[in-house]
Amino acid sequence: MSGDGSGGVGGGTQVALVTGGYDHTIKLWQAHSGVCLRTMQHPDSQVNDLEITPNGQMVAACGYQHIRMYDLASANPDPVMNFEAITKNVSRVGFQENGQWMYTGGEDCTARIWDLRAGRPFQCQRIFEVPAPVNAVVLHPDQSQIMVGGQSGIIHIWDLKTDHNEQLIPEAEASIQDIAIDPSGKLMAAVNNKGSCYVWSLAGSPPRPAPRKHLRAHNKYALRCKFSPDSTMLVTTSGDCSARVWRTSDWSLLRELRHDAQRWVWDAAFSIDSHYLFTGSSDSYARLWDLEKGTLEREYCGHQKPITALAFRDQAV
Amino acid sequence: MATYDNKVWLLKNIREAFIATDDTGLCDIVMAGEDFSKIFQNKAMEEKKKYKEGILYQPSTSKIKELSSDISDERELVTQFDPYPDMEDSEEDDLVCGSYIRHEDFLPHRQRSNTTLWLDKKEQALKKAAKIKVIKWEDPTIKLTAEQMAETFAKIEVKKVEKKKSLLAEQLEHCPDLPHRQYLEYAKFDGTAQLGLPIKSFKIFMTMLPEKHQNYPLVVCVIASAKIKDLIGFTCYKYSIEHPEITLGSVHEYGLCIAEDDGEVDLAFPCLDANEPCSKFGFTCLGLIDLKTKIIIDRATDSIPDYSVMSGAFHVFPKASDSGQSHHNTSRHNTGGSSTSEAVRSAIRAVNEERKAGGLNVDKMQSHIIATEAPQCKAYSVHMLRKVRTNILVQLVISLDRIEIEPIVTHKHAFWSRSKYFLHSIDSVAWCQILESKANKTTFRIVYSTSHNTSLNDRTAGNTNFFHPNTTYKCHDFECDHETGKEIVEKINTILDLRNSPCRREYKTAKEKKLQTRRSFHTKQTS
Repeated sequence: MSGDGSGGVGGGTQVALVTGGYDHTIKLWQAHSGVCLRTMQHPDSQVNDLEITPNGQMVAACGYQHIRMYDLASANPDPVMNFEAITKNVSRVGFQENGQWMYTGGEDCTARIWDLRAGRPFQCQRIFEVPAPVNAVVLHPDQSQIMVGGQSGIIHIWDLKTDHNEQLIPEAEASIQDIAIDPSGKLMAAVNNKGSCYVWSLAGSPPRPAPRKHLRAHNKYALRCKFSPDSTMLVTTSGDCSARVWRTSDWSLLRELRHDAQRWVWDAAFSIDSHYLFTGSSDSYARLWDLEKGTLEREYCGHQKPITALAFRDQAV
Repeated sequence: MATYDNKVWLLKNIREAFIATDDTGLCDIVMAGEDFSKIFQNKAMEEKKKYKEGILYQPSTSKIKELSSDISDERELVTQFDPYPDMEDSEEDDLVCGSYIRHEDFLPHRQRSNTTLWLDKKEQALKKAAKIKVIKWEDPTIKLTAEQMAETFAKIEVKKVEKKKSLLAEQLEHCPDLPHRQYLEYAKFDGTAQLGLPIKSFKIFMTMLPEKHQNYPLVVCVIASAKIKDLIGFTCYKYSIEHPEITLGSVHEYGLCIAEDDGEVDLAFPCLDANEPCSKFGFTCLGLIDLKTKIIIDRATDSIPDYSVMSGAFHVFPKASDSGQSHHNTSRHNTGGSSTSEAVRSAIRAVNEERKAGGLNVDKMQSHIIATEAPQCKAYSVHMLRKVRTNILVQLVISLDRIEIEPIVTHKHAFWSRSKYFLHSIDSVAWCQILESKANKTTFRIVYSTSHNTSLNDRTAGNTNFFHPNTTYKCHDFECDHETGKEIVEKINTILDLRNSPCRREYKTAKEKKLQTRRSFHTKQTS
């Protein structure tokens, strides 16, 4: 790591870009220079999803049968925690906003809640079973609901307090690939394997999803969708080698992010000011785009195989 | 034997030994349905489960205990039915490390390499595992109360997201231009960032940079499959990250040469082939050089005769800037290269003119004495005979004051066949004669002294004693057709007689003495 500490991720107070993929490694990057600071080992499995803990100290990586946590501040290439005893691929991981618990979803047709608090009088491990492998789980910003989407094409809205659940079926015979909720908690989007993107508004009390928009986002398999921190944009990534940024005001296309070398775009992450977007692609490069100018600002090269997941933590100044 | 204390493992081995060694296949049929090892294994699982449940329902403090300690308890829990850890491995593995085949061979010692290897691997894995906190999923056993649920999964008010300024944006602003970006594609060859790929480390001296940047080699580690060009690219990438203030050129401008530990690059060898994988080369110390400089150096070494004339690189005549000026030579100064050589060339031309004028005077002086013979300068193409190596075609230039032997290079790249250039002052030449005349070839010899070069070798002429009692004579043998041979020998002898140098006189005296002793010896014998 660079000596001046500007590239370090000391105590979660700095900017951190983490990528992972098929080469069984997780890389930590100095986001502004494009230099790889560290490589961590993710043995025996690809990385399906990455998420930085709310305190910024660790990154969680989920893969086949494991969720592994890596210390971002130390130079340890091995995980410090290993969550296991799951039979299949874990496809998504996320955290409660205070880091009290972690939620995951996987191909074993479940969504789970892992209690991360130590020394408590009771543990609150939770499991939610659905009829098909889970591709997407996302926590509502109010921390009380988890959306679970999977290969059956159903989105289950799991109320954590009451354990009740509701179902949404946007399109028959299409697998839900990803779900996103905007930071203000007013919009929910889901993409499927046909390239369609469905948007609901979650306004109202109690919040009920009301269909808002159907976007033909891509002609091929869609992989991810994410709202920008200011909720003005929605990015969808796809197997058509592009990422598309949509305005949430009128659902018009703001940018199409393409590069000659870019292949499937697996994941994306916004900067905190919604000005920049990171994408990770099958060509083993991660890229940084300036969304206002539509220009490619940085490239991150170092992975031997496709990048399938990335996580970014920005710092407000 | 300690190895066989496990029922399951033994059963599995015996069963497989029977099946594998029975050619009739009867054993296979008999034992097909009953794999006791598997049955025992299942029993072990059951027992473990029971034990685990027992712990869970104990009213102890186990729940408050850290999860990891639970896990380690479980790891230590070994039942009598537990198989060896790798028993589930495939059948091929069993054949490799299995023992029943060796039983037949009656080997006195069991080969343990596989076992020790496995143990080492296991030990390392355990050490690593000890540092990782393992948390196993446990299905919720007790239903949480509504209160506990409310505490853990409290609904919170979604805060209004305010516009924030990003630290990333600030950093990007401060870091607009990155010199290493042009080498980014080579970043993926980084060997320090790999898992399970063979890697290779090199010490690279940046010899193309100014000297102050050359003090320390750059240690680079690349994946072994990277090509030399990738290694060059990655070196540039790494160097430009560490020294962003130094601008490097394009990757194609550089080559890698073998270097010494101290960074001294051996330029006599060609650069490593850019398209070969770096794993092919055994050298670990390399020097990154500018290909342009390398080309100039190569050209220089290709044209040794020319440059030796111009720069006086030959130790025989250290400062022979006024030497070797045959007509042939002047026309051959066409190798080009640097501006300095151009300067040298023009200087030589000037000297040449002077010498020509001087030569003419000498010619006039000589003309009335030796009429048409011994013209000022004449060149002949002859074969020089060499003891160890093949005969080579040389140009023998004979003038009134010197004899030059200059190899005619036919194969520009045949470095090994090159021969030395010789220049002898006529005063150091002692003798010339025809050795033998074959069917179509004449062989002749020129004898010269190594210690009589003073007349041309003025700068080293500190030792101006002209008399050398222990003069050593050396010779060159040549071969050519009869006509030329005769002409050369006659010409040289005319000049030698004309000069009548001390060297020649000494040689003559020595030869006569030799003859006399031989004669006297001969007469003594006969008398």
